Amino acid sequence: MVLCAWEVRLLEIKNIDAGYDFLQVLWDVSLSVQEGEFVALVGPNGAGKTTTLRTTAGLLRPSAGKVIFDGKPISGLRPYQISRMGLAYVSESLNLFTNMTVRENLLLGAYSIHDKNQREEVLRFVFQLFPRLEERARQLAGTMSGGERKMLAIARGIMSNPRAMLVDEPSLGLAPYLAHEVFQGLLTLNKRGVTILLVEQNVHMTLEITSRAYVLEHGRVVMAGPSRELKQNEHVRKAYLGI
Amino acid sequence: MNSNPELEQERPVARGGLWQTVVAALGRVGITPLGLALLIIIAILPNVSPFNQEHILRWLIAGAFLGAQAVAFDFTSGFINVVNFGFAAMLGLGAYTSALLANTAPYLVLKPGITPWIGIWVGALVAGLVGLLLGMLTLRLRGIYAAVMAWFVGIALMGLATNLTTVTRGSMGLHPITLLATNDNRPYFYIILGMLVLIYVTLNLVTKSTIGLAFKAIGQNIDAARASGINPTKYRVFNFALSCTFAGLLGGFYAHYYGSLTPQTLMHTSKTVEVLAIVYIGGRGTLWGGVAFAFPFIFFIEYLRSNLTNLPGLQLVIYGVLMMLVMIYYPAGLSGLYYWAEAKVRTMLSRRHTLPANERV
Amino acid sequence: MSTSTIQLPRVRQAIKPSSRRNTPAVVVGVLSLVIAVLIGVIGGPAQLITTLVTGGIWALMSVGLALIFGVMNIPHFAHGESFMLGAFTAWLVFAPLNRYLQGHPSAFLSVVAPFAGMIAAVIAGAVIGVVIERLIFATLRHRTKEGWIMNAFLLTVGLSYVLTNGATLTIGPDYRGVPQYWDVPPLQFLGIRLTVDRLVAFAIALVVIGALWIFLQRTNTGRAIRAVSQDETGAQMVGINLDGIQTLTFSLATATAALAGASLLFMYPAYPMVGLNPLYYSWYVVMLVGLGNVPGAILGGFIVALFQTATQQFFGIAWINVIPTAIMVIVLLVAPSGIFGSEVKGVQEQ
Repeated sequence: MVLCAWEVRLLEIKNIDAGYDFLQVLWDVSLSVQEGEFVALVGPNGAGKTTTLRTTAGLLRPSAGKVIFDGKPISGLRPYQISRMGLAYVSESLNLFTNMTVRENLLLGAYSIHDKNQREEVLRFVFQLFPRLEERARQLAGTMSGGERKMLAIARGIMSNPRAMLVDEPSLGLAPYLAHEVFQGLLTLNKRGVTILLVEQNVHMTLEITSRAYVLEHGRVVMAGPSRELKQNEHVRKAYLGI
Repeated sequence: MNSNPELEQERPVARGGLWQTVVAALGRVGITPLGLALLIIIAILPNVSPFNQEHILRWLIAGAFLGAQAVAFDFTSGFINVVNFGFAAMLGLGAYTSALLANTAPYLVLKPGITPWIGIWVGALVAGLVGLLLGMLTLRLRGIYAAVMAWFVGIALMGLATNLTTVTRGSMGLHPITLLATNDNRPYFYIILGMLVLIYVTLNLVTKSTIGLAFKAIGQNIDAARASGINPTKYRVFNFALSCTFAGLLGGFYAHYYGSLTPQTLMHTSKTVEVLAIVYIGGRGTLWGGVAFAFPFIFFIEYLRSNLTNLPGLQLVIYGVLMMLVMIYYPAGLSGLYYWAEAKVRTMLSRRHTLPANERV
Repeated sequence: MSTSTIQLPRVRQAIKPSSRRNTPAVVVGVLSLVIAVLIGVIGGPAQLITTLVTGGIWALMSVGLALIFGVMNIPHFAHGESFMLGAFTAWLVFAPLNRYLQGHPSAFLSVVAPFAGMIAAVIAGAVIGVVIERLIFATLRHRTKEGWIMNAFLLTVGLSYVLTNGATLTIGPDYRGVPQYWDVPPLQFLGIRLTVDRLVAFAIALVVIGALWIFLQRTNTGRAIRAVSQDETGAQMVGINLDGIQTLTFSLATATAALAGASLLFMYPAYPMVGLNPLYYSWYVVMLVGLGNVPGAILGGFIVALFQTATQQFFGIAWINVIPTAIMVIVLLVAPSGIFGSEVKGVQEQ
């Protein structure tokens, strides 16, 4: 992809090989996301989308290739270091602190923010974005419904005031209206300047709200381009949009 | 030239059919040719100077005793991944049962006067039954849970032995009759050596049988094992009970060899820790690692004890540190070191024997 | 670890994470109350005071152990040695001061000296905790995560072995104690005699536990510790340095156990194996209430102290290693996750 000189690549994933034990999952995967973009990574189950995000977030070590965030290489760093650099990761399994309240979960999201006032400010913004969470502020995270927990996970990611977010399958298992709410939230975030790399199986919705997308199949990037174009693409329509 | 050059080249490799049969038979009970050689040497040692001195004989007996414990312990820790932290108490059960059965002294209520030659087997049975019960109750759950329960039960048993003074004379201990009338250590050595071989052979037969396969399956993937029709708890309980039985047997030997028995010296958690350390440094899961290490361990300890009297416990500190180092850096233990060395030697030897065809004479 | 905000209903929720009726807890609770009454009536209030003091100390020890279980997933077998180290440190600091005071009496110094010993013990515990964690557990963690619980447990067994024998080697097997910390007459009220030493020990235990509670509930770092015990990956994702938290937790637990040992020097003289009983009892507590359950451990400390005193009272001190243990075994057979439920990852499934 050709970029103009003033477009900054905030996140670059270059030629990544990654896997678990003896199973290689990713083969020479390359992606990039510019500052302020809303990019999607779609593909079938088992394609390696989660593995891609986990490797980016530092939870998995790539066997080849590198990841560059904000111009700095992050492939060898620990997850907490990457998080503190401003790259937040919202995992598919959410990894919420189930025995803590919503409020405590959110406060922990802002762990790296040392200024208490700043923390409160972000908390206020998050409650604005997801009013449902404010209602349940003192409820234990483990007792909430699936949709609310997804919201909480995303909200927790926002609490660190990140420059970029990696979001893994936020709409999975959600009722359509809740999924819609979640996507709206992400869109609002993006409009405020947060760069987002979204992994999703709900391709239709995803291609609507993102500007660009990559298609991952069997651990390789098979297609990339503006979401508009991909929506018209023959293969995408057949395989993912059921048309 | 009346010998075939090709046969010349192969001679070091193949020998007669009898040798193969013997090696194979021994292999089925876990004795390699090297192991057999060492066993024979150890068996002969008490008749050879300087090893026929009484105190050296005592060390040999202690070594064999510890080694036998190590085998029984490793059977559980290495093959079903459960650390029997009350192991010492099982020895105590066997010891006290046998000692009480043999008692004829007036200061105790019961005076059955049964010969220890039978008594030790009864003791083994008792320990086995308690192990069976404990296993059935605790082995459904994770290893650490069973380990802690065994530990607690061991503490309680030791406390019982200390407190039921009318039965056990508590901390004053018992002085059971010895197995033999003689004061000579040598026959005792052969008895304990015999027990060691018995335990080793039996447990090797089990681990190399389909039961052993079941152990492995359970260890590798418990759900797959279940799906194949293996009941993990049943196998675990069998393993645990068998290990405890042998512990009880060894306890019986202890009682009727040393002729003196108190709860603290036999049943304390620290005794289990000693066996555990031996097994882990020697290499768990091999059955022979602990035995091999037990002898040098005892000799080293006793030597230090008699020569470095101003530094009590130094040897124990050394072993504790060694155990920790092994656990962190070299979990395979000394047996792992041995296998590595053996493999190296093998590759070296095979390289010397396979010359490319055009270089053969 | 099931802790949440400090309000009372939450505490109840925290101790009993399951909403269904918890029979074992009820049984144990009722039993404890009955025993407490029996002790008070038959043994007299003095016995109850003993129970409270002992309970406070067991609670202090058990909280540390529960934290180590919950945050680091380590069954810490050498926890008693932390107690021992604290006792020795306090003795090393206090005994010479005490001797000095014999020749040069000073009201100020005689009040402060025991505290000097205790503070020294806390510092020693904290430092040694950091060293042990970095040197041993962090190393194991970075080498292999397989079979972690068992490996870590055995490692602490080895550590305990080294520490007890090392103490025998370096300091010697003799008992080093002090008859009392403060040479003041015991307090008298309601017909009860209470020595100042015991009162202070109890007060320290309460204050420290309280401070720990506030730390865990209200501060960022305390929250981070709880987070690590609940979801390590989640904690990493929000920017928490796992290694740092693990070291902090272990150091904290070792320091509190050392403080327990120091504050009881007048009751338990320092000698290499002195940590054995504190080890047993803190393990009883933690297994009783459920591994990793911190608020439960506080309550459990008192419950186990009750069992201990009752055994001493009704059966004699010799049975102290039999009856509480037997009760533990029975309780665990019925409720393996402890009466308040266990939060520790992967200990129960088979």
